[in-house]
Amino acid sequence: MKLRRRQRERLSLGLQYLVFIAIIATVLVAADWDRLADAFFRVDIIKSMFPTIITVALRNTILYTLGAFAFGLVFGTILALMRLSRVAPYRWVATAYIELFRGLPALLVLFLVGYGIPIAFPEREIPGGVFGSIAIGLGLTAAAYMAETIRAGIQAVPKGQMEAARTLGMSHFTAMRTIVIPQAFRIVIPPLTNELILLTKDSSLAYVLGVTAQTIEITKFGRDMLNDRVNATPLLVAGLAYLVITLPLSQVVRRLELRYAKAR
Amino acid sequence: MRFPSAVRQAGLVVAVAALALTAGCAKKDDSEVQASGVKLVAAGKLTVCTHLPYPPFQSKDASGKVTGFDVEIMDLVAKELGVEQTIIDTPFEGIKSGQDLNTGKCDAAAAGMTITDERRKVIDFSDPYFDATQAMLVKTGKPYKSLDDLRGRKLGVQAATTGRDYAKKLEAEKGLKLVEFEDLAALQQAVANGQVEAAINDLPVWTEYLKKNPGGFEVAAEFDTGEQYGFPVKKDANPELLKKINEVLAKAKQDGTYNTIYEKWIGKRPSA
Repeated sequence: MKLRRRQRERLSLGLQYLVFIAIIATVLVAADWDRLADAFFRVDIIKSMFPTIITVALRNTILYTLGAFAFGLVFGTILALMRLSRVAPYRWVATAYIELFRGLPALLVLFLVGYGIPIAFPEREIPGGVFGSIAIGLGLTAAAYMAETIRAGIQAVPKGQMEAARTLGMSHFTAMRTIVIPQAFRIVIPPLTNELILLTKDSSLAYVLGVTAQTIEITKFGRDMLNDRVNATPLLVAGLAYLVITLPLSQVVRRLELRYAKAR
Repeated sequence: MRFPSAVRQAGLVVAVAALALTAGCAKKDDSEVQASGVKLVAAGKLTVCTHLPYPPFQSKDASGKVTGFDVEIMDLVAKELGVEQTIIDTPFEGIKSGQDLNTGKCDAAAAGMTITDERRKVIDFSDPYFDATQAMLVKTGKPYKSLDDLRGRKLGVQAATTGRDYAKKLEAEKGLKLVEFEDLAALQQAVANGQVEAAINDLPVWTEYLKKNPGGFEVAAEFDTGEQYGFPVKKDANPELLKKINEVLAKAKQDGTYNTIYEKWIGKRPSA
């Protein structure tokens, strides 16, 4: 059978839609919806999660994320500058740090910070308690990633910018601070926002530190509720709570990327 | 060669979908029904879920093998069925919520698990096999003798345990600050390095801990909560296995095997 090119394409496209619909239909028919609803969607449990999931859990998730992000950003910028430094030992230290902390799971780093520091300095708490431990623990890992992003951003600023600033009589430091870094940050806003989204989810690792009713974040809140009610509905609600934070952020990233693409 | 790429892609999608569907269906028929009517999720094995570490009930020994009181009792059941016991380490929530059993991850659980009415709603429990008491661990020399002394102080608990539920009930009344840890190891760490003033867990667990770490800690208080441990089995799905476990328990108690295991892992039996 000889088909013309366009006919063949239509046929294959139709076939793919058909397969797609067949898969969805199978799932819809075969799944046990009553049991699913009973396990994941109990309205009375959903109701009982409010307002705590917003006033405590969501708030703490945001706080932890911002703390870790701020720590990572400051530390990451320092690391990036060290990697670009003309002083060799700075480069060595920064490179070693980045390789090390990019290679370690955030969970391990958080555990080491949360349990190691109190052992090293007995009876003394990290300032800010759980918040401080998370900001540092997750921030240490985030800084390693952010350093590479920021370095790429700085290197993406045309060399002429630095040269022009130096010609005007600015010191290397002033030129970096007022000319290069501001431009670099404009470039790296989208990847940094992605890092923020990743951190939002990583903040769920707070559970390893041991959390109280006041310091609980979304995931642990959901898991605790699951334990209390012996039902998985809280996990679904917890998932939605994350989307409240991450979906708008993803939108921001997309908008910014579009804008930069146009500007070019 | 002659096929346009889109058709080939469609073929691939169909193949993958077919695979996924058969895989999805195959799962159900994987279980093995023994001559005695006992269903096992994996042929030739009694698959048991637990959450490590929880000595003396289950923990890894020096060689990495999981051993303990619960493990040895379950070995008796496996022996009776003529199979080997396989142990799966999984978060306690999955065991407690009944999901690990419902999804066929394991046949039964042995996790130092207290029988409660709430848990009974989603799980079938075997007959009680152990009387548990809650207890409070503190560092030696700390002035805490009861929950009343902990007003405004941090008390560590293990997530999803009855010790946590017990403390939660008294949280407001005693003015406690509860800090939840994921597992026993983290909870012990927290007491050791002063993140919490005291910790609540089952008495045998602390007894075992004191044996391993002499000198630094003490059990400051015991709370007789009337708890009893049971082995969970999937709800309304495997009465034969439940019956078998209960038979083995009764037999072990009668012929002295239970006592031997008890003394090996827990210590002298309190005279009943």
